[in-house]
Amino acid sequence: MNTPADTAPLPLPASTTETAGQVRIRYHPRFDRPVRLGPGEEATAVRNIPNTLDVFATHFPRKPVLPGVLLLESMAALAALVCEEHDTFAPASWRLSGVRGVGFRHFIGPGDQVEIRVRRTGHRGRSADFSASARVDDRIVATARTLTMTTGEAT
Amino acid sequence: MRFHLIDRIDSWQPHRHITARKVTSVHEGHWQQTPDGPRLAFGLMLEALCQAGTWLIMLSTEHRKRAALLTVREAIASGPVRPGDTLRIEAVVVSRSEEAAVIDGTVTCEGRTVLEANGIMCALIDAEELDDPADTARMASRLLGTKAAA
Repeated sequence: MNTPADTAPLPLPASTTETAGQVRIRYHPRFDRPVRLGPGEEATAVRNIPNTLDVFATHFPRKPVLPGVLLLESMAALAALVCEEHDTFAPASWRLSGVRGVGFRHFIGPGDQVEIRVRRTGHRGRSADFSASARVDDRIVATARTLTMTTGEAT
Repeated sequence: MRFHLIDRIDSWQPHRHITARKVTSVHEGHWQQTPDGPRLAFGLMLEALCQAGTWLIMLSTEHRKRAALLTVREAIASGPVRPGDTLRIEAVVVSRSEEAAVIDGTVTCEGRTVLEANGIMCALIDAEELDDPADTARMASRLLGTKAAA
């Protein structure tokens, strides 16, 4: 997923992947720490939430809150990396096409560091399902029972 | 980005139903760049629907309450939205209490359904905790095409 402009990353060098045991470490400009891929079809990443995000000017003027849908799209961006690691479809073509059982438990605001985890739970052709969670300081702030990722023109 | 994803409110019935519009433009900065061209992210379509719902709550409560997203039972996208498209958003309140409301809705684009969602549960919180009531009133007037409130 390409994030909205206010949260778009700097044009850092192309991502690279290292291997540390069963875990692959991938540097990716959409996340603020190296992404950990695996073991299996899992991934973990960190997204920082600085006070400088433009979205806070309107969401909301009296209480800055990261919109939950942007957190969903960060989960999807991480899921897309897992898909790209395991599949042969064109890179950057995986996108979020459906969600089920999403819950937001706490607001995310300036200064938070959000650890995002995704795990692939199913895969069929050009579609893959993931479960996902996000935590701040060991507190779960959001979960998604199913994120459906799709590639191709169909949807 | 300005996180205002509703450009017009076309109709509404208190606590029941709202229809709204968002026009899209190549000049907006939030397009996903995909191999088949730019498209609107799933999350922003869902957000447009949620914002229509929160405007219905605000209009129905004379701007005293607004909605904060708690859960989404299901939301499915079914087609691309490209720069220049106009989204038509319809949200229906299926249940509500003093503390929460549940909304179903659809987003269509040029006659195609591009997003369907059900079981969007929102907490109803005091609107003035989040924004200046005068600013909310001015925005409501703009969206409704009415004269600004005093």
